Amino acid sequence: MSAVIEVTTVDPGLLADIQRFGAADVSACFSCGNCSAICPLSNNDGTFPRRMIRYGQVGLRDELLGSKELWACYHCGLCSESCPQRADPGEYMAAARRYAIASYDRTGLARALYVHPAVGSGVLVALAAAFATFFTLMSGAEPRHSLRLFSFLPDSVVHWTGIAVMIAVVLVALAGVSTMVHGLARHEGVHGRDLVVGAASWRRAWRGAWSAVAVESLGQKRFRDDCADADPAEHWYEKRWIVHATVMWGFIGLLVATMLDYGLSLTGVRATGTPEPVWYPVRLLGTVAGLAMVAGVTTMIVSRLRRSNQASTFSHQSDWVFLTLLWVVGVSGLLTELALYLPGAPSWGYWMFVAHVSLAMELLVLVPFMKFAHVIYRPVALFFQSLANTKA
Amino acid sequence: MSERRIGVYICHCGGNISDYVDVAAVRDAVADLPDVVHAETSLFACSDGTQQDMIAMIKEQHLDGLVVASCSPKLHLFTFRGVSRRAGLNPFEYTQANIREQCSWAHTDDREGATLKAIGLVKGAIAKTRESSALEPMAVETTSASLVVGAGIAGLRAAIGLADLGLRVYLLEQSAAVGGWVGHFGPTFPNDRDGRAMVADLLEQLSSRPTITLLTNAELTAKSGSFGNYEVTITVHGERESTVTATVGSIVIATGFDTYEPAIGEYGYGIDGVVTLAEFKALIESSPDGLRFADRPVRTVTYVYCVGNRQPGGNEYCSKFCCSATVHASIEVSAIDPSIHQYHLYRDIRTYGKYELLYEQARKRGSVFMKFPDEVPPSVARTDDGRLVVTTRDTLSGNIDVRIPTDLVVLVTGMVPRENTALTKMLHLPVGGDGFFNEIHPKLRPVETVVDGVMIAGTCQGPKTISESVASGLAAVAQSGAMLMKGVAELDPLVAVVAEAACTWCGECQQVCPYEAITAVSVDGREVATIDAAVCKGCGGCTSYCPNNAIDLLGATDAQMRALIENLVEVVV
Repeated sequence: MSAVIEVTTVDPGLLADIQRFGAADVSACFSCGNCSAICPLSNNDGTFPRRMIRYGQVGLRDELLGSKELWACYHCGLCSESCPQRADPGEYMAAARRYAIASYDRTGLARALYVHPAVGSGVLVALAAAFATFFTLMSGAEPRHSLRLFSFLPDSVVHWTGIAVMIAVVLVALAGVSTMVHGLARHEGVHGRDLVVGAASWRRAWRGAWSAVAVESLGQKRFRDDCADADPAEHWYEKRWIVHATVMWGFIGLLVATMLDYGLSLTGVRATGTPEPVWYPVRLLGTVAGLAMVAGVTTMIVSRLRRSNQASTFSHQSDWVFLTLLWVVGVSGLLTELALYLPGAPSWGYWMFVAHVSLAMELLVLVPFMKFAHVIYRPVALFFQSLANTKA
Repeated sequence: MSERRIGVYICHCGGNISDYVDVAAVRDAVADLPDVVHAETSLFACSDGTQQDMIAMIKEQHLDGLVVASCSPKLHLFTFRGVSRRAGLNPFEYTQANIREQCSWAHTDDREGATLKAIGLVKGAIAKTRESSALEPMAVETTSASLVVGAGIAGLRAAIGLADLGLRVYLLEQSAAVGGWVGHFGPTFPNDRDGRAMVADLLEQLSSRPTITLLTNAELTAKSGSFGNYEVTITVHGERESTVTATVGSIVIATGFDTYEPAIGEYGYGIDGVVTLAEFKALIESSPDGLRFADRPVRTVTYVYCVGNRQPGGNEYCSKFCCSATVHASIEVSAIDPSIHQYHLYRDIRTYGKYELLYEQARKRGSVFMKFPDEVPPSVARTDDGRLVVTTRDTLSGNIDVRIPTDLVVLVTGMVPRENTALTKMLHLPVGGDGFFNEIHPKLRPVETVVDGVMIAGTCQGPKTISESVASGLAAVAQSGAMLMKGVAELDPLVAVVAEAACTWCGECQQVCPYEAITAVSVDGREVATIDAAVCKGCGGCTSYCPNNAIDLLGATDAQMRALIENLVEVVV
């Protein structure tokens, strides 16, 4: 920790700004700390999540955005259950994460999507329409005898568009991560040299990365261990970590299947678009992953509609946008596949394919600007969390 | 002394005494003492049932002395004097032995020792009672008039209350205008009642009561006489100075408070943009649409609480009203413009009782409350670029040091005692460590002073809210009524008396008497001291000073005290 006493200048409008992202009730908080007492993530200093709310109330913007704890929370909802002021700390944490995503993004798009529902909806529709128009313009004739998707829309168009989108997303994400890391490192007192100078530092950094990406993000360890849901699920398949894992691994499966398909084409093993049976490994992986993701997302949507647990009692527009996009991308993909195997090569398959590709591209483009951004920022925060845990 | 018939009661006080003192052993130790005809223990001596039993016992056994070993006489001396009176026993034949505060509560770790001490205390009390004699209270005819000093909110309300009891009232105000501080206030907490309107209302009530004489620009310049009939001289200043004299039965002191004036540099006082709460209230009133200071719009207000109060080595007391008044002011500010940011830097928020609702409301309107540690008070400064900045440490966010750029700093200043030396000297009023006047007991006798018939009301006694000031003014009314409405008042006969034969009038006693009760008279051609029983408070100062041992204190005579001490030490030492 730095020995110099740092004095932070307050941002009087901070709480009101965060409340544009949700957290309508948090003004009622009077810092009693019941939330910290019950929070399974609260460590020995016992100030989480109370202190996060305090940062907002006092106007300590840098402290809030520099808090790794913001992303350690999985919104189990115990805090909101036990809050005597009904200030809904869990929802505040969610709103603060939305605010953080908007703050890490320097383009202003994320903020526009979050706080201006009309602008957000307009952007979503326009972006989907733009991709659809682009792919329609790039499409050729519809082969009639069988559904030849990549004759209709050349695979190179899809691939190169995808690669361009990915590069753009990675650049934006890196900018966001750099903003975030700068804030976290300053707040946590972590310097770059602490991570790279000497073998011990390397080992610590490596362990931190392993814990953040493998154990916590992909393995969801704390999500499984600590965050007992405030409303325990009736069925195992309604457990929040299982539903989340289904969606996450479904999405990863689809990503892997897509990349394998491209890889096989690049290496000349099999050209993209070659007809193949459903049990063909890559196809099978894509199908299973797609079904899993759609099932998981559907469960999430139903849970939000039924408000069946604390985390889903309040749904921000951005929650619906994210789930809806995932769902339509998944369903349009599965329908496209169905069309492939249906007899008679139904021509709606071509348009379903255009819709699927357009929506998938939109989903990718928006990763850093919407709830999806947690895949970028949460592992970074978990990395710092791990570093803090391995401190001498 | 001839044979006595004394009854002794040892109280359990539920368990307050009997948990630590073997009360049965105490009873057994005193039951067979000479002159003790009855001894028993009682679960609650002060209970109705036991009081009835005592009365029956006094009558049946023809007791001529009563001892109750229980709590402090401050609590129940008058209870058991009453029991004695109702049983036909002279109340001054009653003695209370304090075996709770002075024994069981003090020795919770030593039952055996506590029991022994209790036996000593009870034996001492019995010995004292053996030497007691019947005393009769003095009856004094009282004047049905009161003097109220100070026409602030407490004094005004007291004057009206006294007049409504049928007493003649002289209401005296030092300044030209009545109403005191409240007369300058606009909306006040908790109900937004306007201070000026409240005073105007009281003035209207005052004017419809012809038995009240209001004297402004006036001060009390002399007082003589004794309880029930004080001769007061009031000097009225003005173009032609005049004096008014009157006889009054009681005097209500309601001289109010002064506000704390911060020193230049104290929390930035003196810097443009740093104001006191009173100045801020005036600013709010003059800004119905849009808060402005020095023609600049105010977007952020920072309040620093406890300025001049609760300061180690300074005014250590809490002024009570300021938290609520400030929180109320911040609600007014947010009513003018809800977008104004307000930071409250406090030590402890003491919006007690229902004022908590104001705090809640202020919080809901967006006021941010930040507690600073005692050892790190906020600092106020103007930066090089001319911005007013408050730096403070916020405990709740983990002792983070924060800078609050602000347009206005409000120093929440409390009350300080008013300069009252002349009055204090003239009336022999007791002044507490904080400089405010002292009551006899904050809960049991909250408006009476040790000077009979002189009461204190309002903030001259210590910081109070408006409603508390009014309540204490009315308490002084009730107390005056109880003293004066009968036309006759009884005075405690526990006063000092002079054995004229032994007195040589050396004058020592007159020097030490704090109540000016002692004068010299000529008896058989010899000068001897005489003590005005109506003025004497029975403090006993003169008895210990008299070189000839010529003065004794009734109810605590040398013989009584010697017997008490001898019996106590016999057991305990």
